[in-house]
Amino acid sequence: MSLSTITRHGPEISDAIVSFDPITLQRKPVKKADVLVQFKELRNHEAVRIVEQMPEQDGVLDPAAVDKILITSHCEMQRMSEEFQHGKRVAELLKPILNALRDGGVKNPIRIVDIGCGTGFVIRWLAASGSLGDDVKLMGVDFNVALLNEAQRLATIENLRCKFEVANAFRLDEPATVFISTGILHHFRDEDLSYLLQQHCRAETCAFVHFDFHSSPMAPLGSWLFHAVRMREPLAKHDGVLSAVRAHKSRYLLDVTRRAAPEFVSAIYGTRLWRMPIPRVFHSLVGIRPKYHEAFLRNMGTRIASLGKIE
Amino acid sequence: MIPVFLWLLATIDSAFIGYREAAGRNALIDKRAYYRHALIRGALVGQVAVLIVGVITAIVLVNSDDAGALFSKLEAVGARMLTVYVPYAVILLITFLIRAVPSVDIRSITSTVIFGPFTLIRPVVVLAGAVWGVVAAPSAITIALTVLIVCLMLGLGGALSWLRSRGLIS
Repeated sequence: MSLSTITRHGPEISDAIVSFDPITLQRKPVKKADVLVQFKELRNHEAVRIVEQMPEQDGVLDPAAVDKILITSHCEMQRMSEEFQHGKRVAELLKPILNALRDGGVKNPIRIVDIGCGTGFVIRWLAASGSLGDDVKLMGVDFNVALLNEAQRLATIENLRCKFEVANAFRLDEPATVFISTGILHHFRDEDLSYLLQQHCRAETCAFVHFDFHSSPMAPLGSWLFHAVRMREPLAKHDGVLSAVRAHKSRYLLDVTRRAAPEFVSAIYGTRLWRMPIPRVFHSLVGIRPKYHEAFLRNMGTRIASLGKIE
Repeated sequence: MIPVFLWLLATIDSAFIGYREAAGRNALIDKRAYYRHALIRGALVGQVAVLIVGVITAIVLVNSDDAGALFSKLEAVGARMLTVYVPYAVILLITFLIRAVPSVDIRSITSTVIFGPFTLIRPVVVLAGAVWGVVAAPSAITIALTVLIVCLMLGLGGALSWLRSRGLIS
């Protein structure tokens, strides 16, 4: 992986090599030539090289081979999440939210749904830690069957109380009380981002917490360094760096959220480290119904100042 | 004492090579046993590397006209190597102590500031220590042994991955 990856734009490889029907959630065939043309037009030669190596059948990318690469990449990404304590980071922000919801009389059980959970690291970590309480149901949703099968397989091995489902997170039979996600927001641009956030506005949803790379001048270089030393899968290296490059700026994210989901009090947490202007790896977009907002702030206490907040 | 210090550092380094080689290959949440095995495996494979260097050094010493002088030269090289490798190791060990603090922020910053960059520069540190060491007593034998050590230090991770690809480790 060359350092020039940090100057790239356009989609990540993992966005381009899979396609799903948004209504039926059925996987659609992806022509290898189309993906190659897309990256050639963007002059992303690194992505072209990576996609060229992927097996095809009659011009269509082999879904099984693609899934294998994605599962390997997610496994490597989990290693990075573990190193950066991401499970604990999510729990530390969820606990004050859940306590605020409980104080506000939210009906049990509280359903936490991880959007685009991949192999379900966050949901499985939360289930394994048992730190959120027995009244919480944990669920991961994704469009990719192979990733979810892997998530379920891993959860079964460790006997974890959580479930995974191929589903649209906003059309579940048992709707989410709290939506969470990690590294999803930067995949959505402009109207798509706005539409994603609009869909949080449903009666049952009390809050959302979306983690993504904290956009800063140092982020692409830092991301390159870590992906160079920690990752093996070329796709994971490429997309990991591009994720940091494409991360939305905190203020932009907040403005879009306020327009798209005005029913929630929204803010960005994790914008600096220890009250100093040092960027973090992740920032989080938090939205909470006004009814629970004060209790949430009270529960957060001094942690808000430490995290840094844009509101 | 210099050979003992070098052996100790080689053992610690190879244990962490074992850890890094195993990392990112197991997606379970509780991986304590998995990583414990990886550390032990790395340290044991490191002993093979140490044994190779030890046997070759012993053969060279036995066949030398002046074993005492050659041993002194090798000790001088080793002592200079330690002046590079010990500070690197000490910084890492101190960082591990800091990482013991159960704080998301502190643990994350140990990675961003030390663990990540130090993994990136490890090959440079290995080479720098070797060059700095061999300058103390340059000769065909010291250079050849130092090159062997560098190859083993930098090749151990690849060797473990090769064993994994052959299904010999999991």
